[in-house]
Amino acid sequence: MGNVVGIDLGTTNSLVAYVKDGVPVVIRDESGDALVPSVVSVGGDGTIFVGREAQRRLLTTPSRTAYSVKRFMGRGIEDVREDAGLLPFRVGAPRQARGGPSDGSRAGEPESQVLRIQIADKWFTPPELSAFVLRELKRRAEEHFRERGDFDFEVDRAVITVPAYFNDAQRTATRDAGRLAGLEVLRIINEPTAASLAYGLDTRNRGTIAVYDLGGGTFDISILKVEDGVFQVLATNGDTHLGGDDIDALLTEQALSEIGRAVPPEAVQALRTAVIQAKWDLSEFEETEIRVDSAPGLPTGYRRRITRAELERLMHPLVDRTIGPCRQALADAGLQPSDIDEAVLVGGSTRIPLVRRLVAELFGREPHAELNPDEVVALGAAVQADILISGRREMLLLDVTPLSLGIETMGGVTSKIILRNSTIPASGREMFTTFADNQTAVDIHVLQGERELAADCRSLARFRLRGIPPMPAGLPRIEVRFQIDADGILSVSARELRTSVEQTIEVKPSYGLTDAEVERMLIESFEHAEADVEARLLIDARNEAETVVQATEKLLRRPDFDELTAGALAPGERERIEAALAEARQAIGTSDRELVQRKTEALNHATRHLAEVVMDRSVREALAGRNVKDV
Amino acid sequence: MSVRPVQTLECRNCGAGAPVDEHFCPQCNRILALGRYGDYFAFFGLPRRLGLDVQDLERRFRDLSRKFHPDYFYNAPAAERLASLERSSYLNDAYRILRNPVARIEHLLAIEGLPPVKSDDGSAKVPPALLEEVFALNEELDEIRELREAGGDAPQIRARLDAARRPVDARRDEHERRIQELSARWDRQEGAAAADRHATLEALREQLLERNYINNLIATIEREMTSVGA
Repeated sequence: MGNVVGIDLGTTNSLVAYVKDGVPVVIRDESGDALVPSVVSVGGDGTIFVGREAQRRLLTTPSRTAYSVKRFMGRGIEDVREDAGLLPFRVGAPRQARGGPSDGSRAGEPESQVLRIQIADKWFTPPELSAFVLRELKRRAEEHFRERGDFDFEVDRAVITVPAYFNDAQRTATRDAGRLAGLEVLRIINEPTAASLAYGLDTRNRGTIAVYDLGGGTFDISILKVEDGVFQVLATNGDTHLGGDDIDALLTEQALSEIGRAVPPEAVQALRTAVIQAKWDLSEFEETEIRVDSAPGLPTGYRRRITRAELERLMHPLVDRTIGPCRQALADAGLQPSDIDEAVLVGGSTRIPLVRRLVAELFGREPHAELNPDEVVALGAAVQADILISGRREMLLLDVTPLSLGIETMGGVTSKIILRNSTIPASGREMFTTFADNQTAVDIHVLQGERELAADCRSLARFRLRGIPPMPAGLPRIEVRFQIDADGILSVSARELRTSVEQTIEVKPSYGLTDAEVERMLIESFEHAEADVEARLLIDARNEAETVVQATEKLLRRPDFDELTAGALAPGERERIEAALAEARQAIGTSDRELVQRKTEALNHATRHLAEVVMDRSVREALAGRNVKDV
Repeated sequence: MSVRPVQTLECRNCGAGAPVDEHFCPQCNRILALGRYGDYFAFFGLPRRLGLDVQDLERRFRDLSRKFHPDYFYNAPAAERLASLERSSYLNDAYRILRNPVARIEHLLAIEGLPPVKSDDGSAKVPPALLEEVFALNEELDEIRELREAGGDAPQIRARLDAARRPVDARRDEHERRIQELSARWDRQEGAAAADRHATLEALREQLLERNYINNLIATIEREMTSVGA
């Protein structure tokens, strides 16, 4: 048996963690980075690049690179039109896009309408692209175990997290992605709940917790009761379409409108990278600069000062959209804000001071942020994976289904069978009958959502129960049974009780992959080349170089730079650093690994003194020997 | 010909017999397939009493979750995995129902064989005891609605709605008290004559029907209140 890991498959970044001697730890790369950007790029020769290398390629070959794929998981083409317009890659639902005749779907099964993303000349489904990210994480973990000297370093099973507010189709798509990556998905768990598990570990406390999770693309709020090691979710709510990405889009749009003319995708990506950097800066400083030196189609670059107050004005409406779901979750749990004992922050976007102020106001207390908000979900996933394989019983997660499930009845009305916020696993049954004489079949239309009308709910699947003997209308007794498993995934069966005609289906979502498609993709996935060993070493060197470059840039950009370094720097020291920085930056663009490494080392060397000065002055502690990354 | 309920379960693992409400085989300790649907009290090992210590229920819920949850049957044989899924689902449902006082009474009525409180078509008939009041209230609401549509004075309309609501609220409080009395009576009647016990349940059912009706009336008044505010 191989190893087991916990994976946070995020909109912007993904992470992998495992439990070591009873303690969850995230797995880092050589430059100490735990985050793998959820970006996938296809090289000219078909090689697949994932993570930071793919992120760099976003600046040079945006048409061959996809990001924010999580926003497309389990969705139909009409759900995502708005998003697709903002992204550099094409999104569509091409018939016969790839593969053999009739897409391999079984007879009678509706043809899958799954959406695809075009990269270069190939169409990929979102689960396939996510599988590339998962495979990268699997590889990273395997490397870690191998270096540790494990005889069996293979990673074959994982717990993968999803936003609590993900619907059935989105969960199933995530499970499919895991399968495509060669992982047995032990369990799909909700991100905020996973986070609570990581927080609950050492505190051993009890009480009512609100987990506020604002990530790159999604927002969740979960209210939990922790007692006696049981983490019971009382209510959850959220928005699968709200996150840091939206702030980046606003800032990018603002920059574009200030530039006032159309620029090529490469320049858009350069602007996007710069505004993201500025957004991060503004979580720490009151003011910063959005800076692009030059980009294709933007030779003179773009520079602009921006203050925190300005950013806050811009993003206020977005952040305010989290208030409604928080109030609803509290109401569903039957609680007042004052009943909340602890508020916990999860997700990179909760570093934003405005978000922290909002959470403090909503729950009337300062939120917890002791654990790294980027890492806490993966840590929790690792804990859950460990529980599953070890059978340890001191901790137990009891989660809920975020949305009600039901079927369409006469007049297009939704009849709910399992209500939202029901603890899972959950089952429900309801009796229905025919409305015409001698009706021998009924269509079962499975829906998810809170609205009265079927048309306003999410259509999950349709199937037909046949073979009902002719009877007057209203006489057949048709029992529809729903079962939600511990992953939050639904299966439905229908049975005519007078004759015992039965039909069971695992709900394969309308926008999901058929089993046949998954099988075929599994075979195809072996055909995608991954970067070879030499290419990987180069990528690792670039990653390390970039880490140092970014840290140096951030230091030099600090608004209080002059104050911090007053009288401490040698004449010409800053210029020497700037020169080393430029050389390192330039080296990253080459394919010469040794050059990249040399220039990284040179930059590290050039900044060592500065790092010490800043560390010393800002922390008021002498920590000699540290380098720039630690500042 | 009548049917006889099953009183024992057969363990699919070792074949031993177990009482129908057992969760685990007394002989081999494996989880048992769900024996019967219906009695949530028995599932929790509780008597059919309406007065229920919610904290005790919560504790039992956590204990049973720890025994049944699919997390702990990940590597178990398929039959046990299924039994764990079934028992966990059932437990979650049972807990949700018993925790809610009104749902608890409705469940008791159902397992004691009384017809459901919710009518199939949703068009509840006015309970005879409420006829007069409902008639007066509807008349008042009609007048208020006309007044509002004619652009009447909002504070004045609100005052009239408040006044209309007061007797309904009082009615509801009275029902809550009555339901509590009847619940307590039911709990004292363990071992009493079947006819007496049945009479208590009938009375409870009557109160619940009226209660649902009163809640609908209050909802109507509240809707009207919102339209005035808008």
